[in-house]
Amino acid sequence: MIKLEERKASIKPIKSKLKISILDDQEISQINQNTRTVLEEIGVVFPSDKALKIFAEVGANVDFEKQTVKIAADLLDKYLATSPRNYTMAGARPDLDVHVGDGKGTYFYCSGESPRVVDFSTGERRLSVKEDIANHARIADYLPIISLMWPSASASDKGETSPLHGLEACFTNSEKHVESESVMDEVSARYAVEMAIAVSGSEEKLRERPVLSQLLCCIQPLAQDRGGIEAAMIFAEYGIPVGFMSMPTLGLTAPPYPAGALTIAMAETLSGIMLTQIINPGVGNYISVNPGIVDPRTGAYFMGSAVAQMTNVSGVQMAHSNGIPILACHSFGGSQYELGNWQAGYENLYSHLLGVMAGADMSFGPSGMYEAVSLLDHPRILFDREMLRVIDEITDGVDVNPKTLAFDMIKEMGHKGGYISHRETGKFYRTTWPKESILYDDGKPEGRKWRDPKDVAREAITWILENHKPEPMSESVKQELRQIVDRADKDDSIKREISGHK
Amino acid sequence: MSEEMYKKLAQAVIDGEADDAEALARQALDQGLDPLACITNGLTKGIQQVGELFASGEYYLPELIISADTMKVAMDILEPALAGGQEREVVGRVVIGTVEGDLHEIGKTLVGTMLSANGFQVTDIGVDKTAAEFIEAVKENNATIVGASALLTTTMLQQKKIIEALDEAGLKNQVKVMVGGAPVTQSYADQIGADGYAEDAISAVDIAYRLADAPA
Ligand code: B1M
Repeated sequence: MIKLEERKASIKPIKSKLKISILDDQEISQINQNTRTVLEEIGVVFPSDKALKIFAEVGANVDFEKQTVKIAADLLDKYLATSPRNYTMAGARPDLDVHVGDGKGTYFYCSGESPRVVDFSTGERRLSVKEDIANHARIADYLPIISLMWPSASASDKGETSPLHGLEACFTNSEKHVESESVMDEVSARYAVEMAIAVSGSEEKLRERPVLSQLLCCIQPLAQDRGGIEAAMIFAEYGIPVGFMSMPTLGLTAPPYPAGALTIAMAETLSGIMLTQIINPGVGNYISVNPGIVDPRTGAYFMGSAVAQMTNVSGVQMAHSNGIPILACHSFGGSQYELGNWQAGYENLYSHLLGVMAGADMSFGPSGMYEAVSLLDHPRILFDREMLRVIDEITDGVDVNPKTLAFDMIKEMGHKGGYISHRETGKFYRTTWPKESILYDDGKPEGRKWRDPKDVAREAITWILENHKPEPMSESVKQELRQIVDRADKDDSIKREISGHK
Repeated sequence: MSEEMYKKLAQAVIDGEADDAEALARQALDQGLDPLACITNGLTKGIQQVGELFASGEYYLPELIISADTMKVAMDILEPALAGGQEREVVGRVVIGTVEGDLHEIGKTLVGTMLSANGFQVTDIGVDKTAAEFIEAVKENNATIVGASALLTTTMLQQKKIIEALDEAGLKNQVKVMVGGAPVTQSYADQIGADGYAEDAISAVDIAYRLADAPA
């Protein structure tokens, strides 16, 4: 069983001694070159007049009618140069700040925006509501392996302002950094900024230590979302970090080859980064490449597959070669398959492991997701956490030193064996045997039988939900957040914005 | 001679050879063959076989889509040549799209392709489409089924707007509405007054058959 005790939130990255690189220098430079040629000759669609004007002002080749921006390589590189390799995504307290690119390892996200959940009490699958987000935020707050969070589900009980209710549920139930994946219009973005200012205390403090960030998906192939990009422009203006994610579906919305799909992904994400750097040089950015494939027999969408995984991990080198941090682990820390399914287990393990070994700055970690991020099941988060516990151990590598070479021990024991009785062995097991695990539970004292990890996980989640009380946010800030969201609920312009400008 | 032409048209669809299909369709008209028979005994037979090959796992999705596109190329030549009053036999006429504010297109396109391969005449209006655009397409295509896809909690509400707009336009009794997408459930579909809900593309075909059989 994992140690269940009352404690304050903390965060813990994983640093890997083991390193993998998928692409060699020449391959990286070929993809970078191809990306720049695509940006120069084909361009990216930005369906926002505001964005197009900004690009035109700095000398990009803008076709206002086709809403397309073509970018020369030197212009792109000029703006990428101001995008920082290191910056802070802040929590409520400095010891919860994620210092992106600080070399301390990979920081993990709890991903989200699941449209459906498995009801924790009844086991029934249903649409997610705001309370599910609040509950999952408390679980994420409790687990040190999670450093940053998205609202884990969507508040279907709140309609168009669901993204803002999601932020409220996270801010009031956790002290960790919160990122929005669903604020997709300018008006909602302004409310979200107001919320972040309320949490930070002032606009100045927000700029110094942004407690909020945004993840924006580009639209494959080679386009941006109008509302999303206009929201990103607001966030960038306030110094709020903006991550750009590309989700090329190999052979559907991108070429079937990883190198071509990476080209599409880099062109989309780098063009978005350039825009935010024009608006606010130095604002934090990151890239995420989340490829998928389609089951060619049924059309079902798959996040787990060797080819998509390789493409995802190659993204780490591509981002770093452009001086930009990366959020890795495709499949958002979830899997296509259900909990308890063998394939879900192995897919999750390799996608988590490869991101860490490739040296990703951030990665999707324990999230509680399955069915391709469309179903949230709270206990599942502990299975994801379990994999990262193992990965933490594996990526420490093997220590080779006089003590571990153990010549003296070997000499002492000679040919008789029986190392189990050696004092050093006792110490070794004490530090190595996983105490913080749901897998090796020794059961109740009377039983000492293996227990199904699902039962152990359920018990742990029940305990966390009943007992973990995140450090309380001041009542006045809570009230302020409530009032902001309340105002947003009554603001009809959000509905108009979401529906587009038609 | 006509039998041979039907076979060739069917084969062009099965092989996904759009250039051949186009040339054959023109040839058929030049030879004075009945366009309706060319469609029914040639193209439709071909696409039916493609559907079977896909169902048995022999064909993959790219082949299915290429064949559907091939059929459309030939259809665009043959259909305008149909004599007045002649109409090709379709199971139903579907207008499908993703709702306003939503750019997710993979599921919608897949559902549309599967419906085409199963004998429906499908007009895919694309993504980010307003209720008014759906209505316009329904009128233009004399549709019997409207398919609205939504993948976001914030945009699924647009499906309801489409149903309300159909009602306002006096079309609610002429068309059946089918909805789908990640956040949509059967109970939500019932709640907004949709006639059908499908979880995936395969069941979308079954539901569409049911809706097509149902009296309008
Ligand atoms: C008419 O009758 C019918 C009948 C059946 C119908 C039907 C209609 N429509 C669908 N069906 C059914 O049959 C289909 C075939 O089997 C099925 O269709 P599906 O579309 O479900 O299945 C497809 C075959 C494959 N599935 C998909 O294509 C969707 C997969 C997921 C991962 C997904 C993808 C790929 C994308 N996304 Co988006 N995306 C997610 C999706 C998570 C998920 N698992 O659904 C979801 C839907 N996205 C989400 C989000 C938040 C977003 N996405 C966005 C963008 C994108 C991409 C562009 C990157 C990409 C789409 C690429 C494209 N060109 O379509 C953004 C919105 C853009 C916009 N304005 O629409 C953005 C807001 C992210 C951002 N910050 O930018 C989440 C929605 C959360 C919510 N509850 O609202 C999400 C659940 C993922 C998550 N958990 O974060 C059935 O649903």
